Amino acid sequence: MKQPAAIAIQLTDIRKKYQIHHEKPTLVEKFIKDHNETFWALKKLTLTVHKGEKIGIIGRNGSGKTTLLKIMAGITAPTSGRVQTYGRVVSLIDLEAGFHADLTGYQNIYLNGMLLGMSRREIEAKIKDIIAFADLKQFIDAPLFTYSSGMALRLGFAVAVHAEPDILLLDENLSAGDANFRIKARRKLQEFFREEKTIIVVTHYLDFIAETCDRIIHIKNGAVVRDGGLEILSQYDPDWKRPQKK
Amino acid sequence: MLICGMSYNTPMNHELRHYIELLTSMTHKELTARYKHTVFGFLWIFINPLLQMIVIGFIFPFFIKEAIPHYYLYLFIGLLTWNFFSLSLSKSCASIVNERSLIKKAAFPRSVIPISIIFSNLTNYLIAFGLFLIPILLVNTLTIYSVFSFFGGLIMLVTFIIGISLLTSALNVRFRDINFFVQAMLIIWFYATPIIYSLSQIPDRLSWIWRLNPLTSILQLMQHALIGSALPDITMLTSNSLIIAAITIFGILIFREESKNFDDWL
Repeated sequence: MKQPAAIAIQLTDIRKKYQIHHEKPTLVEKFIKDHNETFWALKKLTLTVHKGEKIGIIGRNGSGKTTLLKIMAGITAPTSGRVQTYGRVVSLIDLEAGFHADLTGYQNIYLNGMLLGMSRREIEAKIKDIIAFADLKQFIDAPLFTYSSGMALRLGFAVAVHAEPDILLLDENLSAGDANFRIKARRKLQEFFREEKTIIVVTHYLDFIAETCDRIIHIKNGAVVRDGGLEILSQYDPDWKRPQKK
Repeated sequence: MLICGMSYNTPMNHELRHYIELLTSMTHKELTARYKHTVFGFLWIFINPLLQMIVIGFIFPFFIKEAIPHYYLYLFIGLLTWNFFSLSLSKSCASIVNERSLIKKAAFPRSVIPISIIFSNLTNYLIAFGLFLIPILLVNTLTIYSVFSFFGGLIMLVTFIIGISLLTSALNVRFRDINFFVQAMLIIWFYATPIIYSLSQIPDRLSWIWRLNPLTSILQLMQHALIGSALPDITMLTSNSLIIAAITIFGILIFREESKNFDDWL
């Protein structure tokens, strides 16, 4: 029994300040010359994401898209404002990160799955599917340092999509592995898009957004400038033409 | 202890269970990854203090007037405990910076990173102590009360290590000097702790230094438990315990605050 208006993410008056550090600060620098070079990546941003929405976030480089994604993922906290998320958030950012080179693929699935919020029992129930999806065959018992970067990426993707996310965060450059795996990954994502999952995509690739999202948010200088349907895409980039449906 | 938990709308015990599972899994990772590709593996935990014990035990008695009973065993208890402390602190201090790829990936409770390092070292420490019981049984110094004294010291030690590791690892993200400072302090700290000497050899007017060093009581409790040397006096035990409590609370608070923004500095 789904409630159409149930909220997945509620961001209220989010501000995020970064200190610009040209080099890593030292204690001496901190206390002697207290230079306050700051940069507001997000300025009083308020956003409500409902369950099941497919949202594309667009904006120029440095507009605050990545910061917004990190705050929604809980990777960093806002300087002020409130973040409420309902359900498990999984981001497909840095898929190959978080693996330990000396552990086997099998051990890394457990570690990575738990870091994403899965319980041991959940992983045990899904480990066969994960291994099959990543298509690692006999390499599953080999340490990660013997893997090619494509294999590590495949494993990362396989764990993330089996974590049963309620809210899925996608970054651009989602080019995992070879052609075969890309097709498989795409199919899996399309499955997510068809389901009731909440999906948030950050990308410059407007065709992908037009194909998959129903709500577009345009971010500029750390604030929402436009929020609406696909018409925003052509306002954002007048040269862009909506691809013909095949 | 839930540090930097995300506000999921799930019951508390679910979060706690996940924390424990994640910590267990990370500790296991530390244990398996550490001694991969080594021939002696875990034995290194034992070999290091053993070599130190032989060298110090040979040289140091030339410089002290009154001998410490069972001096080689006394040394070994101190060195094993010290190595647990210094290895845990020096490794966990830089741990958040070293594991930046994990921090940038997902929103798990950050404190599992330093605490898993401590727990993996604790596992090794306890196994090494298990082996060490063999010579201890030979000199026949154990009593029923050894258990209380040992576990009392162990609880103080683990609490202290967790507190100071949370504090230094959190601060090290913004101020990378902390790591260098800790490495430098550890060298001095070794000599300010009754490992190769006993507190009875220190003049009374200087005893305030050891009251400030929580490791004093901890080592005295361990030494008392295993070879029956003097217990820490009540002033020493109280002041050491208070310092441990203060550092641990401070460490948890700082870690909780700083961990929200680790990603910004990595």
